[in-house]
Amino acid sequence: MTDVSIVTAHDLSNKRRALVLTEHRVGHYPEFRAFFAAAFDLDRVMLSVPAYVRAPSGMTYELVFIGRSGEPFPAGVEIFALPEALEPLDDAAVDRDLWAILGWMIDGVGPPWSRADLEATGRLYRIPAAR
Amino acid sequence: MQTQPNFGSAAIPDAARDQWPYRPRFARVNGWRMHYIDEGAGDPVLLLHGNPTWGYLWRQVIPPLLAAGHRVIVPDQIGFGLSEKPTSEHAHTLDGHAANLVALVRQLDLTRLTVVCHDWGGPTGLAMALSNSTRIRALVIMSTWAWPMPPAEFHTRVFPWRTMHAPLVGPYLLGNHAALAGRGVYLSVVDRERFRREAQAVYEAVLPDPADRMLTWVWPRWIPLDASARAIERFAWLEQELARVSWPAQIIWGREDEVFDHATFAARFKALLPHAEGPHLVTGRHFLQEDSGVEIGGLIASFLERVKAQGT
Repeated sequence: MTDVSIVTAHDLSNKRRALVLTEHRVGHYPEFRAFFAAAFDLDRVMLSVPAYVRAPSGMTYELVFIGRSGEPFPAGVEIFALPEALEPLDDAAVDRDLWAILGWMIDGVGPPWSRADLEATGRLYRIPAAR
Repeated sequence: MQTQPNFGSAAIPDAARDQWPYRPRFARVNGWRMHYIDEGAGDPVLLLHGNPTWGYLWRQVIPPLLAAGHRVIVPDQIGFGLSEKPTSEHAHTLDGHAANLVALVRQLDLTRLTVVCHDWGGPTGLAMALSNSTRIRALVIMSTWAWPMPPAEFHTRVFPWRTMHAPLVGPYLLGNHAALAGRGVYLSVVDRERFRREAQAVYEAVLPDPADRMLTWVWPRWIPLDASARAIERFAWLEQELARVSWPAQIIWGREDEVFDHATFAARFKALLPHAEGPHLVTGRHFLQEDSGVEIGGLIASFLERVKAQGT
């Protein structure tokens, strides 16, 4: 069960990209890279277009995948919120959205990774969005 | 090409000023700006912290060493404390961090040096010592490891260890939410209330922003879990070379350390260094200096007295 969905296109007019999370090493555990490659058809799409997901707040997030010479693609990923161009972010809403995106990712990666372990780790470290 | 320098947090937190009355010094080491203190006179003692702490970890250890007539040098490892904090994960390697320490030791021309290492101060400091052996007088080792995978069963678990630093989860939990610099240390001391009251804010204050905290999730990723791990050969070298040294050595461990438990880790160091003193068990979990800093300082000072008496 997930509350995050992939959206295929997004109207960027009067929006801005706000960087909210960066991962330099998405293949640290290779199954995470494989998840993103499969979810967004990255072996075919490569760097040609970013990917988009819609999060529980209703905000769409852009996923920009990063390539590095000598490493499997994608090497990294940057997550951008897409707020109205001149509006500040709602930090609490973004935080809840990021937590939901992480849960969606963990669900997609699959065992031995689990949403339950993610939530337990979040509770251990007192993450507000953890259930 | 190095990443953009980040000196944004290069100030001693207000909460630390009374406990850290030392003059800040800076050195350019291996391309980075390193903060350190250099106090006292006599044969030098180098105190090396790990993740996610800074020199402040040693605040209760320093006075007994100064009182015993030692010169005490305490760097903040690059990426921590008041030192420069690279903003790319690719700026951090085990060998690079060891080379940072090599540069500092050579710039200060330290000889007859006692290296005291904790956590990642172990692999980095021991690599520095083993590659600069003519400068070394003695070793003191606490709550660390120096051999290939895995350091502890804890580090193989999905919950919480591997989840905590998993792709995107690490930057979120340890970066956005400072999970290791605050609550992570809190969970790994014995007297948690005292830590919360006296020290937690200081550890959090030197890593104020998510980008400052990068090494807190990068170091966990350097812990070898299988034969393909990036630093596996360096850890094998550390174990091999450490078993050959005859420097006087002392092992100090936290009695309550449930991650690097003394029955496994201190015992393994004792097997590598059978001539070492200890293990001396003190009150403490992984960050044993928080619970037993003065006692640890006294143990090291008395050990170095015996080293001196033996004419080493």
